[in-house]
Amino acid sequence: MKKRLYLELENCIGCRSCLAACTQCGGHEERNRNYVYDVNPLVNRQTMPLMCLHCENPACARSCPAQAIQIHETGAVLSALVEKCIGCQNCTIACPYGIPKFDQEQNLMYKCDLCIDRTKDGIPPMCASVCPSNTLQWLTDEEIENKKKQFNLDNGKWVTSMPYLEGETNVKVNLPGILQGITKLF
Amino acid sequence: MQRDKFFKEIENLNHPNEKLIKTHCSYCGMQCGMNLRVNTQTNKIIGVEPRYDWPVTVGKMCPKGVTAYQQTNHKDRLLKPLIRDDASLKGTTKGFREASWDEAYDLIAKKFKELQTEYGKDSLSVFSGVSMTNEKCYLTGKFARVALATRYIDYNGRFCMSSAAGGFLRSFGVDRGSTLPWTDIHETDCLFIAGSNTAECHPTSMFRIWNVQERGGYIIVVDPRETPIARRADLHLDLQPGTDLALANGIVNQLIKMGYIDEEFINKHTNGFEETKELVKDFTPEYTSMLTGVAPEKIIRAAEIYGKAPNAVVMFARGVEQQHKGVDNVSAYTNMALVTGKIGRPKAGVATFTGQGNGQGGREHGQKSDLLPGYRKITNPKHVEEVCSVWGITPEEMPQPGVSAYEMIELMEKKTIRGLYLLCSNPAVSAPNLNFVRKAFKTLDFMVCSDFYLSESAEFADVVLPAVTWSEDEGTVTNIEGRIIKINKAQEPVGESKPDWQIQVELAERLGKGKYFSYLKTARDVADEFRLATKGGYADYYGATWDKIDKQDGVFWPCKNENDEGTPHMFLDKKFYHPDGKAKICALPYRPPAEEPCEKYPLRLTTGRVVYHYLSGNQTRRIPFLHDMCPEPFVEIHPETASKYNMEHEERVRLFTRRGEAIYKVKITEAIRKDTVFVPYHFGHEDSINLLTIAALDPISRMPEFKACAAQLEKVELKKVQ
Repeated sequence: MKKRLYLELENCIGCRSCLAACTQCGGHEERNRNYVYDVNPLVNRQTMPLMCLHCENPACARSCPAQAIQIHETGAVLSALVEKCIGCQNCTIACPYGIPKFDQEQNLMYKCDLCIDRTKDGIPPMCASVCPSNTLQWLTDEEIENKKKQFNLDNGKWVTSMPYLEGETNVKVNLPGILQGITKLF
Repeated sequence: MQRDKFFKEIENLNHPNEKLIKTHCSYCGMQCGMNLRVNTQTNKIIGVEPRYDWPVTVGKMCPKGVTAYQQTNHKDRLLKPLIRDDASLKGTTKGFREASWDEAYDLIAKKFKELQTEYGKDSLSVFSGVSMTNEKCYLTGKFARVALATRYIDYNGRFCMSSAAGGFLRSFGVDRGSTLPWTDIHETDCLFIAGSNTAECHPTSMFRIWNVQERGGYIIVVDPRETPIARRADLHLDLQPGTDLALANGIVNQLIKMGYIDEEFINKHTNGFEETKELVKDFTPEYTSMLTGVAPEKIIRAAEIYGKAPNAVVMFARGVEQQHKGVDNVSAYTNMALVTGKIGRPKAGVATFTGQGNGQGGREHGQKSDLLPGYRKITNPKHVEEVCSVWGITPEEMPQPGVSAYEMIELMEKKTIRGLYLLCSNPAVSAPNLNFVRKAFKTLDFMVCSDFYLSESAEFADVVLPAVTWSEDEGTVTNIEGRIIKINKAQEPVGESKPDWQIQVELAERLGKGKYFSYLKTARDVADEFRLATKGGYADYYGATWDKIDKQDGVFWPCKNENDEGTPHMFLDKKFYHPDGKAKICALPYRPPAEEPCEKYPLRLTTGRVVYHYLSGNQTRRIPFLHDMCPEPFVEIHPETASKYNMEHEERVRLFTRRGEAIYKVKITEAIRKDTVFVPYHFGHEDSINLLTIAALDPISRMPEFKACAAQLEKVELKKVQ
């Protein structure tokens, strides 16, 4: 059954375990490929991960003059093929979320490939495997549908989608505020 | 066993030429399950893979856990024993030379014998820790009492968990850190969490904790800082450091006044209610607010939520325990569960977040100055007899009780204690009032330190012995829940390093005590003797065999025999461990922190941890990812306070108390009280915040008051810093 990366931003505790784990998948040359931001560090401890959303029509791949960024049959937008990447950095500019990173020394881009060695066989990516707060989860579409029902805010904002994003994405994101829609037990 | 809705059947990724060794993390009491990836050609640990089938943490790990494997083959590992001949270099990394094990053992045996001949048996001491297996903790206690025959043994749990132990013993008559398994936590209706920065110190509890809110339940957090968990809590009680006892009394008073008490439970299963009711009635919301700085309506609301909740768990950690009234704080918060009867059933109870990996097991089996295996008392002749029969000594040979960790250091300074065998701990960073502590270590005639890196404490040693990491030995650990679990060996020891149990056996032989130790050839041999030594004690591990641990995904103590599956939930029969079977509701008069702010020192200093480091940082500061994320300490200040002192974000400033001073980078945040500053304690040498902390000890647990003292800030001129 197809599973997707699902983000619940409300849960993030800023531990950056996802970044530590990103280096450990065995195929990432021990470099982490995503980001965790302190939202407003002088005010509070809110943090949020910024992961590649694996767009259905990815700007990074569209902007690549060398067609180095391939889309896997699972929908994962892969890191640039080393033999094709010309180091132009178009992708780092094109991505509306600033995801692709650039290795100055090797003159190569690199980005999240959703741990394709794992996810192609249905094993969760490292970040979602270790995330202690369940900010990052690896769920079936049915489970995501249930989340949508559980966190119904009646305003359609429960999850990132048009017009908040540039386009449809394989990764689903639940914005902060989910708890507002919950009925308390007592 | 205990598989819940978070458990998913997931197969691990197997890389070619690799095998996975199931084990647990080396760090905190969560003891997250993990698989170590071992290269089958080099037989070295090369990485980590989540352990999805561990029921408590289902593959989850914090950044320390993810990178824990990098400790094993780290370039800083000690590969051979080190000897330093020039004692004037103590307190530095200089003057060490590599030596053989024979030379090191001979020197230690010679020095120990000389000191004991000249100054008596009790001139030697053992200072140990609980980030090691039950087997090692057990043998360390036996080594001190039988091989060294000294009364002076104590351990770093005095800086960690001892107040929780003292509080639970007084309230329940038994000290098991959690009365319920962690797999219950997300199913409760209210979590009352005091003095725990859970998101940073026990991150893998968080998915269960958040789930309480997702189900419509409540989270109440008590903390002077708006920690990540406090930020999302339904209610944040932002008290002044060191005022927990007043807050707990205030809430218990409200629970009584608002009618949330369970009279039948109180009458049948507890003592002490009437005295407590009488005492707490002065703690009105207004009076409690005056003492704690928490708004009266928040105190009332907290009592209302906790009182109404069908099931609730009271949880706490070092924030309430590391005070000179830590034991009282623990019993006072436990009162909340006892007056409402929210204990002794699933999804309700009391738990402390165990700090160290084996903080629970390590305090039960004889490393504490007055305890013997199985939580037996060294002052109880029957207990002594039971342990002597396993050890093969006579009761007359059993040393008297010693003193607590910090008090041992005081005796070193007074030259009552002249020799020290330190293992699994780094008190030159983690003890309070470090200027005094470091001076005391320099005063020692002879000091041995066993560690796998050259810690700040090892810098004071004459002989340093290379120990193994957790991944190069096997044994059991008792996790945050009281669940006995198995640590497995993933590779052979690096260099000439050895496990501490083996070091103790070999050293005992040099000291002429071989007959009590030589038959312990493997960790399993130690485990078998250890289980036998606990038999009949109330922390009874006799039935917790390694096979059963493996089959059942761990065994909760007590586990008395082969057929006993262990005890995940405590007190289900409403029987507590006091002789009359009742729990004690404790009437506890409030007293303020030992050192209150004054004109000269107007700020309250509190200390704690960050998510990237563990304890004294001796391990985590060496791991590149963790170092990059938090390379140096900082002082957290509210912007209004910073403005008063004319200090900017990231400016270096001087923080000082009556005991010491240090220079820290300012971190401005509104997520802290205006009267409080915070510094993490993971850093060594001149960066240690414990140069400033106070050694005011709890009268029962002998826990120092790390969490509250009076301090002052001062701008420094640039040239001073450079």
